[in-house]
Amino acid sequence: MFEFLNQPEVIKIIVTIGSMALFFVGLFGLLTRKHIIKIFMSIAIMESSLFLFFIGLTFNTNFIAPILDNTHVNISNMNDPIPHAMILTAIVIGMAVLALGVSFAIEYYKLTGKTNIDEMNEMKH
Amino acid sequence: MSSILFVALPLLFGFATPILSKFGKDGVAYTSMLMQVFLLYLAFDLLSSADFHVEIISIAPPLGISFVLNKASLFLVALFTFLITLFSLYYLSHRKTDAYENETKFFILSNMLLASSIGLVLSSDIFNIYVFFEIAGISTYILSAYKKTPSALEAGLKYLLTGAVASIFLVFAVALIYINVGSLNLAVISQSFEALPYNIKVLISILLLIGFGFKVEIFPLNFWVTDVYQGSSALVNALFSGIIVKAYLFVFFHILYLFLPSGEFSVFLVYLGAVSMLVAEIAGLKQTNLKRLFAYSSLGQVALVFTAFAMQNKEGIQAALFIVLAHSIAKFIIFFALTSIEKEHKSIHIETLKELNSPFLRAIMLIAMFSLLGIPLFAGFVGKFLALKSFAVEGMFVIMMIIVIGSLIESVYYFKLAGYMFIKGKKREVLNIGSMQKVVFVLLAFLLIFIGIAPFIVSNFLGDSANILLDAKSYSDMMGGV
Repeated sequence: MFEFLNQPEVIKIIVTIGSMALFFVGLFGLLTRKHIIKIFMSIAIMESSLFLFFIGLTFNTNFIAPILDNTHVNISNMNDPIPHAMILTAIVIGMAVLALGVSFAIEYYKLTGKTNIDEMNEMKH
Repeated sequence: MSSILFVALPLLFGFATPILSKFGKDGVAYTSMLMQVFLLYLAFDLLSSADFHVEIISIAPPLGISFVLNKASLFLVALFTFLITLFSLYYLSHRKTDAYENETKFFILSNMLLASSIGLVLSSDIFNIYVFFEIAGISTYILSAYKKTPSALEAGLKYLLTGAVASIFLVFAVALIYINVGSLNLAVISQSFEALPYNIKVLISILLLIGFGFKVEIFPLNFWVTDVYQGSSALVNALFSGIIVKAYLFVFFHILYLFLPSGEFSVFLVYLGAVSMLVAEIAGLKQTNLKRLFAYSSLGQVALVFTAFAMQNKEGIQAALFIVLAHSIAKFIIFFALTSIEKEHKSIHIETLKELNSPFLRAIMLIAMFSLLGIPLFAGFVGKFLALKSFAVEGMFVIMMIIVIGSLIESVYYFKLAGYMFIKGKKREVLNIGSMQKVVFVLLAFLLIFIGIAPFIVSNFLGDSANILLDAKSYSDMMGGV
């Protein structure tokens, strides 16, 4: 009944709509939330949506994993490994930046007791 | 010798610092200094031997990783290594006086910053540019939060939040480029980018503009800059304003020239830059905190560089590179001087200049301010003159007006500062400056005047660099005709 969902075109449409919806959920959170940890969560959601988008659009369900060995020598039906390598790198970097940000937020909270970004105005006085 | 050393040595050194620090802080400091002097030698060696080529790091292009060494990129590499060497020289005598800044961690961060800014400039691959973009980001976030005071942490948080958002837009752009073009190599993308459907092209351009716009401090994405400069220590601001912004600016326009050689959005970017300059100069007028004031001055100058780069013609790029040179040197003087003042007076309010008792520092700061302002016989004048000439050549008189008005507003607050410095009144005891620091100040000030008197030493070279940057075809030829 849901066979048509397996077609690459349909999958691409679903991936695009879904990941862009997720992207705007993150963007909405980034613009409306005031709690610093919630803002970091919004940023993480936006990042994940882009990773899904990129992998989803470059991945073909009919193709096989890009591993060359004695039986698999034909590269024409293999998935492109470059997006996967890129996204792996990007995930690591994104995680590192988020961890750094959360550690700044914790240190800042310890010193001032503030978590709301509207109240972060040390420079004003 | 290989150009990979520019990235590998600072990174290697940075991560070996915890082990090296077992041998004492001085050991780390002097080894770091030695390594930077070696890189400086290497940069000038490559420049003088005129050995311009593509250096393959792993597999051949378009698949592998490669560095492009041409006049334009090597000019910036030489500038960055020169400035960071002087930074280390200044730091060597400064660190003993500041408990926080006298930690070996500082070397990890400054070397990471050097490696990433050189990597940004040399890289020929948009994904590597993203990776270096993030390394530069991480090192700058930590540097600005380094002192762990509430204001420093707030500056670090603001920097990190904007940087994280910027990197999301950059990843989005990289993903769309790969989906539509099928390659990450700049030369390959440059060949097929203009032929892409108009909507995709505009979408990618907007994403790149937002991603880099945060980092190149362009209006309206520069709201965070002044807070970051005010919260961070003045010493670190020298690195932000002198090195890392210049690397981002260069790589943004490098990508722009390769992707859109016909200059489709050139006029829009020129107006954006001019408006940024005007906004920054007007906002700078009523500032009383010196770090914040010079942050606005930085914004104004960077916006001027942005405008000149956006002209996308030889004169404009030559002027932009000239201002990059003059501004980096002048801002190093200013922020080093502010570091000395802050150390002595424990305050960085504009009123502290009244009590400043150091004829040497006053003279040096005045030279830097004259250069920033564009007084004849100083390097900044030549930059501004070339920029105005390039706008005149294209007949953009509105832009010329805006730049001149911006410079006039700028002069108001520089003369206000000079007035504060030379006002008669109660003075403190004479401010002590280490002899090593004096050498750094004198060298930088000498360069400003020397380049101002004899601009032809660098201007021809910068003109050639501009031609190279504009020539997208020879870039892909250099890459082996991919």
